[in-house]
Amino acid sequence: MAIHEKTLIDPDRILQHDHLVVDGVDVSGSWNTMISPRTLVDYEPDFEKIIQSYSGGENVHRCWQCGSCTNSCTMYAQNVDFNPRYWIYLIRLGLKAELLKDKDIIWQCVSCNKCTNICPKDVRPEGVMKATAHWLEENGYTPKSFSTHFDEEFTHQCLEYGRIEDTEVMIGFFKRTGQPLVQTWIVQFGKGLAKHLPLGQLAKMGLNTIFRPKTKSWGRTGEVLAEYVKAQKEAVHHG
Amino acid sequence: MSVQDTVLVVGAGPAGLSAAATVAAMGKKAVIVEKEDVLGGAPIISGYAKLVPSGEWAKDAIGRMVSRVEGDGNVSIHKSVKVTELDGEAGNFTAHLSDGKKVEAGSIVLATGFTHFDSINKPEWGFGTYEDVLTTTQMEQMVATGQIRCPSDGRVPERVAILLCVGSRDRQIGREWCSKICCTVSTNLAMEIKELSPSTDVFIYYMDIRTFGLYEDKFYWKSQEEFKTKFVKARIAEVTKSPDGRLLVKGEDTLVKRPIVIPMDLVVHAIGMDPNVLNPEIAKVFGVGLEKHGFIDRAEQYTNSQGTTRKGIYVCGAATGPEDIDTSIAQGQSAGARAVADLFVQQKAVG
Repeated sequence: MAIHEKTLIDPDRILQHDHLVVDGVDVSGSWNTMISPRTLVDYEPDFEKIIQSYSGGENVHRCWQCGSCTNSCTMYAQNVDFNPRYWIYLIRLGLKAELLKDKDIIWQCVSCNKCTNICPKDVRPEGVMKATAHWLEENGYTPKSFSTHFDEEFTHQCLEYGRIEDTEVMIGFFKRTGQPLVQTWIVQFGKGLAKHLPLGQLAKMGLNTIFRPKTKSWGRTGEVLAEYVKAQKEAVHHG
Repeated sequence: MSVQDTVLVVGAGPAGLSAAATVAAMGKKAVIVEKEDVLGGAPIISGYAKLVPSGEWAKDAIGRMVSRVEGDGNVSIHKSVKVTELDGEAGNFTAHLSDGKKVEAGSIVLATGFTHFDSINKPEWGFGTYEDVLTTTQMEQMVATGQIRCPSDGRVPERVAILLCVGSRDRQIGREWCSKICCTVSTNLAMEIKELSPSTDVFIYYMDIRTFGLYEDKFYWKSQEEFKTKFVKARIAEVTKSPDGRLLVKGEDTLVKRPIVIPMDLVVHAIGMDPNVLNPEIAKVFGVGLEKHGFIDRAEQYTNSQGTTRKGIYVCGAATGPEDIDTSIAQGQSAGARAVADLFVQQKAVG
């Protein structure tokens, strides 16, 4: 029988083949609709610890679901799906699949910190939003933010050369984020610079771009540092 | 021992022991009548572990109350007996005991306590069906042994679920009261479990958390923040068993608005406090009224504190409704003092 109130059902729970023939009987479309159950069958109690390992998420375990955060939330006033109280509950019990349903709006937190100021248990919900957004990004559930791209380019140059080159950092950042290399503000900046004719500085920048100076005896330092940073990160988030 | 010197104290739990000690300290005679063969009441008879809020073991704390009256020349004790009949009136009571003895007293303190809710009356929650479903009382006894194990096969439980409001706040089974102490007892128990078995995760399934007064941070917050107890807002519909032998806790998670079927190794019923099953008999023997739930009714409390519906008979502790131990002890003192004051009034009248 066709299901008349499909709108009431979460779309990803409706299983349906457009074309299906069973024992010679055509049961295409609505005739083969199945609905997967809504039941939650387990918790992931360690998930809370993972979020706590990100800066800002340390106090998430204190939450008692009073709802002060959501009540006071700037974003909730705009979008009722933006519900920090609910996400904190999901994090505490490790209901990851439920949390991921909202992955594309968690980053919208504007860090006004009204929640943090009102929270009676000092959960610091704003920090939890930040920690959760970082976890989502680091695990590939949300695209990398511009600031992450910048950090990665910056870190890459530090490790590779033992120093950074401003021009190179900008170029790398633009490439990573798919932005044009020539941008209006750069042109303005160049024009302003040209007025003062800092010839020596311009020559130095040009030469550095071509020869890419490296810190003396840098050797394997970058490699060792990279390994150390990686180990530290793993220890914090998975230890 | 004249009538005007004696107070009859019925029941030797925290409230009764406190009342008797108060009477004795005021220079009057207290006669304790206890139906069990040990003194101490529920904390001793049911083998409670550490008490709320002191954290002292029940046998130590209540034990001190017992030895205080046992060593007091003004207190005499009758164990394993009940009052079967009461003659006379305020100032001149005669109680007939089940062993044939008689006690004459000027006033009476009822400290007859409560009865633990019997979980068998909520069969859908698996008590009596599955070995790994226990009551808070049984769990306290397990804590007292120093080891947390599943009774079915002795394994260390990965997860324990404590279900609140078992036999409380439930019109279906005629219990329309909040038992007042189970929230605090459960959060305390969650900490004790975690302390003894650090690999065990404890989940508390609640409708509301009512850790009143100073129990809030000392028990609720502490168990959540330091002992990582998880609080899940869900009223459980049913406890069943999965093919692998673990228990399944079924219900609706109020906050996620989704049905849940979660595997657990141990399920603990936070059982409430019923009126003493003997209250109809007690009411009849002593001629006191019961309030609508079946606890002993109290007089107006502003000028007749600890009074019952009958002159000269006072009541204290969980006999009047769910009560914690500290308050029961305070009420015991209050009732003891009221009873002694009556003796002075009677002496004046006689003198």
